[in-house]
Amino acid sequence: MNKRLGLVIEQERCIGCEACIIACRIENHGTGPWIQVETQNVVQKDTPEGHFPNLTMTFLPRLCNHCSNPPCVDACPNEALVKRKDGPVVLDEDLCNGCQACMNACPYNVIIFNQEKNIIEKCNFCVHRIDQGLEPFCVICCEGQAIHFGDLNDPNSEISKIIASKETFQLKLEAKTIPSVYYCPPKPRKRL
Amino acid sequence: MIKNGKEKLIRTVCPAHCGIDACGILAHVKGDRIVKLEPADFPDKRDRRICLRGLSSLDITYHPDRLKFPMKRVGERGEGKFERISWEEAFDIIADKFKNIAAKYGWKSIGWVLGGPGAGTTKFGAYLRIASLTQSTRVSSWGYGDAGLPCGSRVIFGSHLPYIYLFGKFWQRNWPELLIIWGTNPAETAPLQTMRKVLDSKENGSIVVVIDSRFTVTASKADEYLGLKPGTDSALALGLMHVIFQKSLHNKEFIQEHTNGPYLVRNDTGKFLRGKDIGARKAKAYIIWDQDSKSPKIIRRSNFSSASITGIYEVNGIECKPAFQLLMDLAKEYPPEKAADITGVEADLIVRLAKKIGTTKTATFFTYLGFTRTYHGDISLRGLATVASVTGHVATSFSSGSLPAILNWDPFLKAIPDKPSFHRIGILNLYDAVISGNPYPIKALWFAFINFLNQCVDCNKIINEFFPKLDFIVQTELFMTSTARYADLLLPVCSFLEFSDFIPQPYPYLQLQQKVIEPLYESKSDINIVAGVAERLGFGKYFKGGEEGLIDLILDHPSLKGVSIESLKMGAMYLKEIPEGGKFTLPFRTPSGKIELYAESLIEEGQALPLFLEPIEAPISPGEKKYPLIFIQGHSRFRTHTGFANVSSLLELNPEPLIEINPIDAKKRSISDNDMVTVFNDRGRTTLKARLTEGVRPGVVNITEGWWIDQFKEGSVNHLTHDIINPVQDKIYEPNMHMNDVAVEIIKSEEGGK
Repeated sequence: MNKRLGLVIEQERCIGCEACIIACRIENHGTGPWIQVETQNVVQKDTPEGHFPNLTMTFLPRLCNHCSNPPCVDACPNEALVKRKDGPVVLDEDLCNGCQACMNACPYNVIIFNQEKNIIEKCNFCVHRIDQGLEPFCVICCEGQAIHFGDLNDPNSEISKIIASKETFQLKLEAKTIPSVYYCPPKPRKRL
Repeated sequence: MIKNGKEKLIRTVCPAHCGIDACGILAHVKGDRIVKLEPADFPDKRDRRICLRGLSSLDITYHPDRLKFPMKRVGERGEGKFERISWEEAFDIIADKFKNIAAKYGWKSIGWVLGGPGAGTTKFGAYLRIASLTQSTRVSSWGYGDAGLPCGSRVIFGSHLPYIYLFGKFWQRNWPELLIIWGTNPAETAPLQTMRKVLDSKENGSIVVVIDSRFTVTASKADEYLGLKPGTDSALALGLMHVIFQKSLHNKEFIQEHTNGPYLVRNDTGKFLRGKDIGARKAKAYIIWDQDSKSPKIIRRSNFSSASITGIYEVNGIECKPAFQLLMDLAKEYPPEKAADITGVEADLIVRLAKKIGTTKTATFFTYLGFTRTYHGDISLRGLATVASVTGHVATSFSSGSLPAILNWDPFLKAIPDKPSFHRIGILNLYDAVISGNPYPIKALWFAFINFLNQCVDCNKIINEFFPKLDFIVQTELFMTSTARYADLLLPVCSFLEFSDFIPQPYPYLQLQQKVIEPLYESKSDINIVAGVAERLGFGKYFKGGEEGLIDLILDHPSLKGVSIESLKMGAMYLKEIPEGGKFTLPFRTPSGKIELYAESLIEEGQALPLFLEPIEAPISPGEKKYPLIFIQGHSRFRTHTGFANVSSLLELNPEPLIEINPIDAKKRSISDNDMVTVFNDRGRTTLKARLTEGVRPGVVNITEGWWIDQFKEGSVNHLTHDIINPVQDKIYEPNMHMNDVAVEIIKSEEGGK
């Protein structure tokens, strides 16, 4: 069986620090953020929802879902976007004509446009690292150790075990994209 | 050094002043340029880490605004007009100036203001050494926010810091049933050494409670959040104790064995009853009431378990109570409803937390410095520590230590063993020394790793009264900061990737901050700058060997046998043996050798017990006050104090200063999100953008500290703060700056949004 490389992101361990954004920038030299950290249900980031002191604040890192059924790949007229056999959806810059059809097709709003080079940019799962047996750079730089990387098709991988043992969700399942990024929601609060 | 194709890999350490995180970093070097930083391995894989600031460090090293060569001032102070000079000329000017000033006012009129050296040792040590050799003045920087906690800890535990007693075991990954994080936000200030462990602890079943005036990222991970008013921590502590004592949930055995709670206190003087008072031969001995014999006895190892901790006793006609009874009497005055009224925390929550603390087997109180930056911050710490002590949640056996506290500092503190060393003055006492000559005049200051004007209280006072009194100002800096503009001589210093230092952090590791590239431009390390000055003053031989020479001075200690610069280049090493003096064992280093629930040394001040005293300025009950809002300064993950404030990748995520204000307070003032507002009091004003958030309690406003003065539309945080000295802290150790004990008012700025 082929690998299906993916991520599990634990919201309980995400402290919203945005080190992943900086890490991605350093590693991939993107002109915009390939990963974004959303503070859920509020207008301004880093602010809680509710009324003082009854508040919650939950962070949701959002990036390419490296879907098993990627609409961006289908939408690209030049086949610049390719779904690799082991999972990552990667861009061949040489083939990209900047038409942005992928951006319209992607339900996750995680593809950005590089105006200067007239190409799109997106998370490539750090394939240059993966191919050397390393983890994506955001994974090793995550302050809270919230991001886990591995093979979703291997039941013994760390991420498969997390998915088997914890409650998880995926984004926009209704889009039938079959995302490879799983999230563990925050644990319910224990009362004193 | 590992070679990897075209790149060299060099292991070093980010020594940023977040302190003990001291993340190991692997630098990738191509030719003479560092191209990438990544987290380096540690012997224990779980300790590999980096934060967003550490990752961004290259943006400081290669920042276009770096100071490139030594300069002397040619315009007015503050104007920022400088002229390039050579290092030789700079050293000559310093030596001449220092000699002239010393001839007129004595060497002690020359002060070294050493801010945050971070985890660095020799870069700090070099200054201590020159101060010691010249017998000049070391200005201690504990007082710029960090002296309140030591003042409290010294009183109750007899140790400078309370960490080992309160949460040393937590740091060693012993997860408690209940984790109380009090007045600190490790998610942003200590994400790796502490917050990861908080998350691990929670994952392993701990109930996490966060007590803070702001709903921080740390609070967002809590099971229960107590959003108290700033400066009311000791009222909360007394409210908790009220419930604990009322329900008899205190740990009597622990109090008898490890605290001075059983010691009898005379009602007439408030002092401890002593041997002489009962005619015993041991005149100074403490006395307990022995329940078995129903008589007063000198405290002994054999009788503390029969010591009474409550009641009233008459001894030789002197009415006495055990100190613990006095604490109970005080706590009795703080029923949960009253504590709730003062602190703003729901009474029911106080009751539930108190019950949990009193009934849980293992509770850890994790705390840091933020909540002690109020006028009575020392008592706030004592309050928290007293709750932990009466419930037995203080470590009394702990075979671990922290190396920095007991490092081989002698060669620095006392460069020549048989000669006197430097004079010492607290940074808040420095104001009076410079402005009024008390306790003695200071005429020249050297600022190192500190942006003094930006970070110290009352900017207008510094500009108008403090700087003009100084004959000579030297600053070592990376950038043209607001303080640098007031320097007479401005010396370009290296970033941490351009020099070597010894980093005995994070416990239990030893690491080398290894020079990765040669110093850029004409910059030098602080160590080599000090060496240059020392040479001119005739002390050159004490700085032989430069950075590595000073590192060897520290490594030359029996406990560090086998540790060398060469061995550290290979990676982090474990500290194998904890040096004598680094072991935290009993007795406590207090006058009684016990945890001091009652401090005899503070009777005159009326602070023998951790009572609640209102903040000096923060309006906890605003009423019709002119300045009704409490102004506090949280810390931001985007900066380490002023460090990283000018890094563009971080500014993209966090572009400008914001004042956080609760929508209730904003509405009263017709302020909307993103409006420009002016924050003011009698000392000064600042103008910046408003951020409406429920994350601060009504009545409290927050601006994160560390933004540079130029980054505000007008003023800065410290244009609002005050330099009021708490004489009790001055007596105990050193007075603190009370950055979180400030009153302000806010109005919408006429100029509108940017």
